[in-house]
Amino acid sequence: MKTLATIYKEFLLLVRDPGGLALIFIMPLALVIVMALVQDAPFRDYQEIKLDVLFVDQDGDSLSAKVKQAFDASPNVNLVVKTDTAEVKQLVRSGAFKAAIVIPANSSETLREKTRQLIVKVFSNFGLTEAPKDSLDIAAIGIKILFDPAIKSNYKQTLTGGVQKIVASIQAEWILDELQNQLSEGRTDVKKTPVNLTEIIQVNEQYASEKKYEGLMLNSVQHNVPAWTMFAMFFILYPLAGNFIKEREEGSMLRLRLISGSQFPVISGKFAFYFMVCLLQFILMIAVGIYIMPLLGLSKLVLGTNILGILLVACSVAMAATGYGVLIGVYFRTPQQALSFGSVSVVILSAIGGVWVPVYVMPEILQTLSRFSPMSWGLEAFNDLFLRQASIQSILPNVLRLTGFSLVALFISVIIHKSRTIL
Amino acid sequence: MSTSAVHLIDLTKQYPQSTKPAVSNLTLHIPEGAVYGLLGPNGAGKSTTVMMLCGLMRPDAGTVNVLGMDMETQSVEIRKKIGVASQDIALFPTLTAYENLFYFGRMYGMSGSMIRQQIDKYLHVFGLTEKSKKIVHTFSGGMKRRLNLMAALLHQPKLVILDEPTAGVDVQSRNMILDFLMLLKSEGTTIIYSSHVLEEAERICSHLGVIDEGKLITEGTLVDIMNTHSDCQSLEQLFLKLTGKNIRD
Repeated sequence: MKTLATIYKEFLLLVRDPGGLALIFIMPLALVIVMALVQDAPFRDYQEIKLDVLFVDQDGDSLSAKVKQAFDASPNVNLVVKTDTAEVKQLVRSGAFKAAIVIPANSSETLREKTRQLIVKVFSNFGLTEAPKDSLDIAAIGIKILFDPAIKSNYKQTLTGGVQKIVASIQAEWILDELQNQLSEGRTDVKKTPVNLTEIIQVNEQYASEKKYEGLMLNSVQHNVPAWTMFAMFFILYPLAGNFIKEREEGSMLRLRLISGSQFPVISGKFAFYFMVCLLQFILMIAVGIYIMPLLGLSKLVLGTNILGILLVACSVAMAATGYGVLIGVYFRTPQQALSFGSVSVVILSAIGGVWVPVYVMPEILQTLSRFSPMSWGLEAFNDLFLRQASIQSILPNVLRLTGFSLVALFISVIIHKSRTIL
Repeated sequence: MSTSAVHLIDLTKQYPQSTKPAVSNLTLHIPEGAVYGLLGPNGAGKSTTVMMLCGLMRPDAGTVNVLGMDMETQSVEIRKKIGVASQDIALFPTLTAYENLFYFGRMYGMSGSMIRQQIDKYLHVFGLTEKSKKIVHTFSGGMKRRLNLMAALLHQPKLVILDEPTAGVDVQSRNMILDFLMLLKSEGTTIIYSSHVLEEAERICSHLGVIDEGKLITEGTLVDIMNTHSDCQSLEQLFLKLTGKNIRD
């Protein structure tokens, strides 16, 4: 009954605190929407961004035609054809375009000649033909790719890799073509077979997820909604610890200390109430991910299949956040100390926990540190559930870590509170 | 010797940062049903004594016996039977008067019907019935002080400890509080009353204990003490005679 009375009292205190309500519910919703929008582009880098690339065809032959054809078919590159190299250089240097591909004049002819000479040389080594009279010493074809210095390295690698792949494929096709030419020389009964190397080896991308969620991968919404939801839940310490200290300063805590047997209900009541607030925050933020994000042009949050697992992780995160808030409220003596330390510590825990950017892109030392952040445990568990359709057993270690964190925080809080109750 | 509501024996407490004890070998005897004025200048050791009396502070030496129970072993039982109204307003400012009282009643372990009955009684006694649904931070100083006192009395304690219960209140509120304390005394409740307003002490106290520098200077019934110091016309004169005129901070 005492715990229920404390829960009701906390409810009344919160509903009469518009600032606290805004901090708990409005700010996190705004935060998750803004962060998902801001981080949408970086998350699309690897998947959906279409890069405008200038294309100068000085060759005007098969090689440039094949390169153009290949990039035209790419979903990530949009070729803009130009003829003036100086203009192209200027456009890239000014940042108007991120890159340009220049196929020099006679590239196709040079490639053809080099291929022919190579095959003749190989045949002559086997005694199938005479040694080539002309020299193999022809300069290599210099396909140029101009980059804006401000281009992101992953764009650069993608484009360079793409050009190299296309050229290698053309080269291989032409070698085989020349091989057929040499072997069929002087014969009329042999028909040349068109060469298509992509039919030999096919690389298929697949995600190791259930068929229903095939193709679902980490995007801005899938990352930001659970990440910032946890951040908001940990910020529960603001009203929780603030309230705790305010009650101490105002004297109501002293009255409660004087009432026999009131300490456990006071702490457990506060814990239970803010635990429920955390869960409500979670439900609201998830609803934003599902219903609001698509209206803003973002992806819809996909929860996966394990709803019980999600509930379990949400409860353990809520416990960890509330336990931490109680500890901060009990330990610090002034609101300034508690709220400054509390907010900075939550920002640090969130940063190393992978809330701001995924842990796997962090330096190794931060990846190691992230193992100690409860937000990293929570985020890992949510990713397991949302993207990998993990089972309860898979998320259990992180759930236990979060619950353990909460219990340790509460245990320390009780010891501190008790030590200050009787001086 | 009358039955003791409170018996402090050789109580000593020294704070870690301090060079001398806040309370030194203090022995007090507060009879059951008395209104005991615990008087002393600033820094005399009154608050430390009250803290030990409530079980919020452990003495370095000595024993605290309240309502026949030892604080060291029966503090839980003792706390159920005492009510404390501190000088600070120990209320939730954004709750209504009724919500505050109901919450504290629950924390005392009282049933809903008992709490409602007590709240109605005290709201009427202290003239706050009309204001019971108002948020406390809109209250005047006197209203808050009365409500603070009500919160200490809800569970019908046998011993009430009051620290400056009339600080910052108007004459009418003060009169109402003092009248109520007299009523409480008539019902047999023991009251420990700590105040700097000696006229009030003179009006309501049956017994006095004056302490200074952590030591008991004098103790007894008000009548006996005044008779012993017949050269003093008032309690204030007696107080200055016993504790000196030097300013204490």
